[in-house]
Amino acid sequence: MRKVWKIIKREFKTAVLTKGFIIGTVLGPIIILGFIFGPAYFMSLSSDKPMTFRVVDYSGEIAPEMNKIFSDTLKNGQPRFIFSEIDPQEYEARKKDFQKDVEEGGVDAILVIPADIMKSGQLTYVSKSIGNIDIIRLIRERISNIVNEKRLLAAGMDPSLIKELTQRVKINTVKLVKGKAEKRGFDQEFVTSFVFLMMLYMTILMYGNSILRSVIEEKTSRIIEVLLSSTDSFKLMLGKLLGVGSVGLVQYLIWALMGGIVILGASSLAPAVSQFISISPIIFLYFILFFIIGFFTFSTLYMAVGAMCSDMQDAQSLSAPVTFLIIIPFIVSMSIIKNPSTDMAFVLSLIPFFTPMTMFMRIITVMPPFWQIALSIFTNVLGIVVIMWGVARIYRVGILMYGKRATLPEIVKWLRYR
Amino acid sequence: MEAIAVKGITKYYDDFKAVDEISFSIAPGTLFGLLGPNGAGKTTTMRMIMNIIVPDRGEIRIMGEKFRESLKDRIGYLPEERGLYPKMKLLDHLQFLGEMKSLSGAEAKRLALQWLERFNLGSWAHKKVQELSKGMQQKVQFIGTIMHAPDLIIMDEPFSGLDPINTKFLKDILLELKKEGKTIILSTHLMDQAEKLCDEICLINRGKVVLKGPLQEIKRRYSHNAVLLEYRGDAAFIQDLPYVESADEYGNYMEIRLKDGVPPAKLFKELANSSLEVSRFEASETSLNDIFIEIVGGEHA
Repeated sequence: MRKVWKIIKREFKTAVLTKGFIIGTVLGPIIILGFIFGPAYFMSLSSDKPMTFRVVDYSGEIAPEMNKIFSDTLKNGQPRFIFSEIDPQEYEARKKDFQKDVEEGGVDAILVIPADIMKSGQLTYVSKSIGNIDIIRLIRERISNIVNEKRLLAAGMDPSLIKELTQRVKINTVKLVKGKAEKRGFDQEFVTSFVFLMMLYMTILMYGNSILRSVIEEKTSRIIEVLLSSTDSFKLMLGKLLGVGSVGLVQYLIWALMGGIVILGASSLAPAVSQFISISPIIFLYFILFFIIGFFTFSTLYMAVGAMCSDMQDAQSLSAPVTFLIIIPFIVSMSIIKNPSTDMAFVLSLIPFFTPMTMFMRIITVMPPFWQIALSIFTNVLGIVVIMWGVARIYRVGILMYGKRATLPEIVKWLRYR
Repeated sequence: MEAIAVKGITKYYDDFKAVDEISFSIAPGTLFGLLGPNGAGKTTTMRMIMNIIVPDRGEIRIMGEKFRESLKDRIGYLPEERGLYPKMKLLDHLQFLGEMKSLSGAEAKRLALQWLERFNLGSWAHKKVQELSKGMQQKVQFIGTIMHAPDLIIMDEPFSGLDPINTKFLKDILLELKKEGKTIILSTHLMDQAEKLCDEICLINRGKVVLKGPLQEIKRRYSHNAVLLEYRGDAAFIQDLPYVESADEYGNYMEIRLKDGVPPAKLFKELANSSLEVSRFEASETSLNDIFIEIVGGEHA
């Protein structure tokens, strides 16, 4: 076992002391956080400048209401929208000048409201960029409201009464965790589950591929047989798995630490966001456990693929089936978020390959009874033993084979070799 | 007790018999050559000795014992397919290889530095392997094979791809190790190297032993008692001498085979008394290469 330890040490050192690891570990979460906080931040940035509109109202009914319904203000207290009304006749006469204003950026947009807006329910938005969906949606919603109100009034009904009568039902969701009621929305539930599922999926895929690459590198650099002169192939395999696996754990630990700091910081800055990504320590432990199970299951398979191929190109096409074995449970888990307690979810969470993601998904949504978790761990440990037995045999023969890719009948033969 | 005793080992790859009932034994301190053309089964045999491949039949004993994993620490093996981690630093790499032979970290580092100094690679200790020239990398391979002072050294085609300087370098190391009493097995298809180095040889072809024994004995057995002659004048009379088996004449160059047991000196005296102007007289010993071609060559021609 001393030699296994030496191999682990070497694998760990070579993986951790690379730029890739440092960048991935430190920049990775920053990028993820960027995705979470970024859009909100940029939205607030982009709306720092007021938008200027010109309104041409042929109907004469909408323009007077504009200032009332577009009364939003920016952070600095300035109005968000600035309107100026243009007489339709003047607009007709100097249409080109007005359009030129828009093109040159002096004015952001022209709203042309036709005389029959009450009937047709259509208006025209003239702008240099029509990609600003938020603004267009805002204008559509708010002008619709005015038009509806006026239509109701014209039909002799009271708009405020109608509003009261047609109000939608709101749902307040409460999640019960060990007798404690926790008020969380489905959105929060979904985001938390999804973030962790995604992390599980990405890291299993990432470390599987890094093992694959490392096996291929050892084959192309022809070091394998030199190592076999000191130890046997099973110890090599074990050392590599444990070495790369421990790199993964260290990475998680760093992330957990960073996450803790961010959550602490975010809970004072942006409480709404921090509750999306907070989980209990027990769930984090389960997360680590199912990463380890998933890592051993899939990385061992990637190892076999590496042993069967002699270059990266071969390996990429041959690793596709293994990658599918990760993607399918990932997709299945997404539907389990919605229905975590069905019989199918229970059965899937016991099957190796499916367990890491589906069982974790169930744990994070509705904590299943402990015996189910224990059973799933048992079936998976069994599965890993079987996989490792087979892969050890493939690895033993494959790592000494150069220059060609093994065929399926060959692999079957390898499994039977003494 | 033999350093290695191989008894009737056989290995199939599917239906192909790569190694067929090979047996040999090697006394401690011997420099043993495993010879044969490409694909004869040399590498498979060596891998079986190292327990990298398990024979289908037969038995291998190393230093009197059946294979145990810990025996690997007492063996230095240089495989035919050899390499280093390109991104590791030289000293770290050698330390790792030493540790894999159960040396302690400090001991491995000390030995690595000592060997690097000796091989004039001291100033490269902290460079990455990939920055080294190929010749330097080969030297590092040798250090990795012998740094843990193994009792048994096995080298598969150690001379392939070496430049003349490194070839001589390796040869000197091997002779030095032999002097220290180490047992060395090397495989090669380069007969002139084997001829210069080996005490004993085992020639295999198509997985079978075709010839084995002490090199001198083999050479004596296959000796053709031949003489090479360069001359000016009429040498036709040589063919008619009673102790000459045959003579191939090429104008002013002749290959002569004497009958068994006739000393070449007898012909030398005869020529000295004749009118023939002899510019070269060489009592040639049959080379291993000739033996190799005689035994193996027929099938490959």
